[in-house]
Amino acid sequence: MPERAAPGAAEMEFAALVRQHQAMVFSVAWQFLRDRALAEELAQDVFLSLHQHLATLESPAHVLHWLRRVAVNRALDVARRRQRRPMVSLQDAPEPVAVNSTGDPMLGSALRRLVAALPEKARMIVILRYQEDLDPTEIAGILGIPVGTVKSQLQRALTLLREKLSRRLGEISL
Amino acid sequence: MNLEDELRTALRRRDPSPDFAARVLARVQAEPVRRASGAWRRWVAAVAACLMLTVGAAGGYRYYEGQRAKAQVMLAMRIAAGKLNKAHKKVQMLNHRSNS
Repeated sequence: MPERAAPGAAEMEFAALVRQHQAMVFSVAWQFLRDRALAEELAQDVFLSLHQHLATLESPAHVLHWLRRVAVNRALDVARRRQRRPMVSLQDAPEPVAVNSTGDPMLGSALRRLVAALPEKARMIVILRYQEDLDPTEIAGILGIPVGTVKSQLQRALTLLREKLSRRLGEISL
Repeated sequence: MNLEDELRTALRRRDPSPDFAARVLARVQAEPVRRASGAWRRWVAAVAACLMLTVGAAGGYRYYEGQRAKAQVMLAMRIAAGKLNKAHKKVQMLNHRSNS
């Protein structure tokens, strides 16, 4: 088919959008689901949906916001459907092993495990706050919940993460 | 150690597999084919439904026309029978007069 032999300008533009935003979409899904294959599949579905809705998006900022919102909602949907691994509360999460000092890759790994053990909403809030560097108002807009809820869940999650890490590190203040 | 900084580092963005974009584009290119195929199937179903409706309607119309023609014939026969009865009565009456 001729249109497959030589991609048009629209296809090249779309390919550029995929390359520009693939790390964001994939990372939201991966940090949330902790399943690389599932995250890649979800990210592909998000970009397919973008391709179908591209004409309705008015600016690059609109595209970014749309992608982030759709990725978040689909990740939440997948997590709700997925019953493969029962969720545990942060209190019940296993202690991270061999946490040493700042910059240690083991600390990052331990933090990711603790974040993965957070309840769904709190986990997504932490991911959007620290991966995407969004403020509570933006997070509230994406998740469709009050800003106050975002702030309180974030504070609670940070407190729990501090407690868990402090216990392992033996540090008083983080 | 600052927990928020550590979280930013731990949760930094990661790239998907190197062929991710190519796989997305391949799926995008495959989409119109699937849509066209689905549209073709819908068109065939619609045409078949129209054909069945037309055939059904034609059959119904023929039945209705038959019933109407039958009713007309019955009416014509009833009228003719009435006229014949009258004529027969008149003939009988005339015969009776001429005999008496």
